Amino acid sequence: MVDQIPNLGRESEMLGALGLSSMDELFANIPEEVRRDEPLPLPQPQSEEQILEDARRLLGVNVHLDSRPSFISAGLARNFVPTMVPMLATRGEFLTSYTPYQPEVSQGMLQAMWEFQTMVSELVGLPISNVSMYDASTSAAEAITCAVRVKSKKASQPSSVYISELVPPHRMSVIENYAQGVGIDLHTLPHNEDGTLDLEAAASATGSCAVYVEQPNALGLLDEGLMDLREAIGGSTALIVGVDAVSLGIIEPPGSWGADIVVGEGQPFGIGPTAGGPIYGLFACSKEFLRLMPGRIVGQSIDSEGQTAYTLTLSTREQHIRRHRATSNICSNETLIALMGAMHMALLGPEGLEKLATRVHSSTIATLGAVTSVPGVELVNPEGCFFREFAVRIPGSAKEALESMDSAGVLGGFDLGNWWEEMSDCLLIGCDEGTTEADISALTDALGNWIGGASR
Amino acid sequence: MSTVFDFRGAPGTGWSQPEPISTPSDTIPERLRRRHLPHWPRASEPELVRHYTGLSQKTFGIDTGFYPLGSCTMKHNPRVNERIALMPGIDRIHPLQEDSQVQGLLSIFYEMQEMLAICSGMDAVTLQPVAGAQGEFTAIRCIQEYHRSNGESHRDKVIVPDSAHGTNPASASMCGYQVVEIPSASDGRLDIEALKAAVGPDTAAMMITNPSTLGLFETNIVEASRIVHEAGGQMYYDGANFNAIIGKTDPGRMGFDAVHYNLHKTFSQPHGGGGPGSGPIGVKGHLSQFLPTPVASRRESVEGDSTGVEDGYWYFWADVGERSIGKVQQWNGNAGAVVRAWAFYRRYGRELERMSEYAVLNSNYLRNRIMNPNPDVAAKIHCMPAEGAQADLVMHEFTLSMSPVKELNGVTGKDVAKRLLDYGYMSPTLYFPQIVPECLMIEPTETESKEVLDKFAADFHAILSEDPEIVTSAPHTTPVKRVDEVWAARKLILRHPITDSED
Repeated sequence: MVDQIPNLGRESEMLGALGLSSMDELFANIPEEVRRDEPLPLPQPQSEEQILEDARRLLGVNVHLDSRPSFISAGLARNFVPTMVPMLATRGEFLTSYTPYQPEVSQGMLQAMWEFQTMVSELVGLPISNVSMYDASTSAAEAITCAVRVKSKKASQPSSVYISELVPPHRMSVIENYAQGVGIDLHTLPHNEDGTLDLEAAASATGSCAVYVEQPNALGLLDEGLMDLREAIGGSTALIVGVDAVSLGIIEPPGSWGADIVVGEGQPFGIGPTAGGPIYGLFACSKEFLRLMPGRIVGQSIDSEGQTAYTLTLSTREQHIRRHRATSNICSNETLIALMGAMHMALLGPEGLEKLATRVHSSTIATLGAVTSVPGVELVNPEGCFFREFAVRIPGSAKEALESMDSAGVLGGFDLGNWWEEMSDCLLIGCDEGTTEADISALTDALGNWIGGASR
Repeated sequence: MSTVFDFRGAPGTGWSQPEPISTPSDTIPERLRRRHLPHWPRASEPELVRHYTGLSQKTFGIDTGFYPLGSCTMKHNPRVNERIALMPGIDRIHPLQEDSQVQGLLSIFYEMQEMLAICSGMDAVTLQPVAGAQGEFTAIRCIQEYHRSNGESHRDKVIVPDSAHGTNPASASMCGYQVVEIPSASDGRLDIEALKAAVGPDTAAMMITNPSTLGLFETNIVEASRIVHEAGGQMYYDGANFNAIIGKTDPGRMGFDAVHYNLHKTFSQPHGGGGPGSGPIGVKGHLSQFLPTPVASRRESVEGDSTGVEDGYWYFWADVGERSIGKVQQWNGNAGAVVRAWAFYRRYGRELERMSEYAVLNSNYLRNRIMNPNPDVAAKIHCMPAEGAQADLVMHEFTLSMSPVKELNGVTGKDVAKRLLDYGYMSPTLYFPQIVPECLMIEPTETESKEVLDKFAADFHAILSEDPEIVTSAPHTTPVKRVDEVWAARKLILRHPITDSED
């Protein structure tokens, strides 16, 4: 028997009020030719207890990241989320509210989002933030289409956008899907041997609508040269930078070195990796992009008695008002996850953020040192400075190494051959605040054993 | 008003963390190092718990009261779903883990794909799009690649009725299509003659929701599908109103080629103040090769497979192939929302149609209650609203026009909406669809009781009987009075100034 329906068993009385005698009569307007007469071929309804039992059984089969030494990151973080965050964010009023179209009864969520905008703005060094995109990939994609809307009229390369060749293919694919309809030509920016962006080649982006780079890049490399990118491309091209949000606890934010739009995965603040979603994309920009940016924005206002209040603002950019001329089709976003992010950021505070970033960096350096001392392992960019991740070349197939490490109970990283075929002998090793010395030993033992075995 | 930035504890004394595992040798070049930390609050857990509890108390959710927000399907969100979503087998999973490590998750994805295909009459489903609007975008991209693969790139127009959700034209436009908006017929339904006039060799697709945003079933939908298909176009079903029809009919029977579902509407993923959502799409066979990649698949178990969910199958992420549009979200969608929706669907199973039955019953019952006040109540009402559309029966939602009231005493739809807040309700959807003047769009959902509906109708009548002055100056009892949206748009105070910081 189903539950969740208060009027179950009381339908006759209600139908009677309508002058009807059966539920079927309610559907009289559905023409016979499209009616479904047979029941849905689905299982019997379950009770909460049975559902929970099945959920435990099925999800219990999955190997979760905290159950073993895990070194997979690739753009997401195996973070620690403070207990307060899910407990407070899932209070029913937050959890079950809709988009705050009625500000008078939504002041709490609106204020929390306005505070979120402020914290993101402070984090990345730009004045404006929206209340979230779906994830880092759609943030990057919509930053690019936004930049084209703002810049194309005055650009000498009016439909061109230049993107670092190290943006991984799954993220590029999202960008391509969003860019193709607007008629944007995507060009690639090459890198030097040492993994840094080729600034001379980047000069070719001068006069284009936008440049998109990531700091650190997909191989975890922090590229000091990016701080000279603004000079290389000139003042008229939008500079869009994708960030590891946690790194900004120790790294100068892109807003301070000329970025116009900063995007990134908000996930490290607020929620676990959650098999890839729901997470949230950060989107922050300078004033020039405000009126053509995607997503919802909260502004401070006053009520009819002059008290401070908050409300959604600049809605005339959005699809429900502007329809096919909207700056984006985004409607549902990731507000609840952004709320979790805001709570996590507020708990950390400035010094807590710095410490978190230092912990991740320290884990990275310690892991890198241990892994590269395993005979046969070479750092892909030996001169580099890394945050959270680094790539190593190993003597053999990364896929096989990962399988071997898996059977030894270690999630040893990500096979870069999945992204770039020529890197099928490379592992992307991700670290985080939870990485321990014991984890690192387990990783180096498992990798060392595989290399030893493979070479025998 | 206090904000989180008013917390100014001593530096570094808030929430504590373990020390770094080793003292980092200073490898970050000086120039890359952050010079000034962000001006985030310095708060302790006890302070923040109180801060956010206070904010939640100034937020209205379904848990607070009746939320008849049309088109948004604000049904109760069962709490066991939240419990499940926090299990480490979903919360602590990385989307790039090997198939062998996520057999349970893959089996849930597979089951959801199958269930959604069955309920919609489609052949293939992807769970990758993370919101309804992204589902629309994804499906239109698939249709676009389908036309291109047939050498029909010249099809550059997408038809939408003027009652469509704003996301429909916005999504088509983002794919590069021109949008052709066709007017509704005088009864609020699709105008077949207007459709005939709009289709042609340049038609790529038609996007439509059924029932429409007026809550009316489009009785001539099969003919509409025939007209669009004869012109070589594809039919796209906006699943926003799927809660009205499950088990009673399906988009496949109506002739649609593609559909999106809103797991956050129909399948109770909580709306969370605006998201997350989840917007899977289903397609007919001829479009399946264009779906985003990968999709969950399975084969029969063979010897040598490691232990899975022990149902005789091995589950895996299957690459859709070279004609796939690729990715619309870089991972595999909002898996947490998929798992919640799975837990919700399991409560109903083959009885999913009960959900639609009681949603439609509640909608018709409430409409009847509102439009037929008792004579003694009617005598006190200054003016009744008009029906948004003339119909004996509606589906899961209905529209009212406050135009007669506005003409009589100046009380607008917005005024009534604001006054409803004083009575402890969320406002209905306001001024949408735009074809109904002074529109209130009301969707009660199946999770409201008869008593709630009776009380709402009585309170609605009370508002219509009140001194117009009280209504036009509403709300009176909310945490703030009517908020000045023009002021906000003019001043654009989009963040806290944090000017008086000590550092």
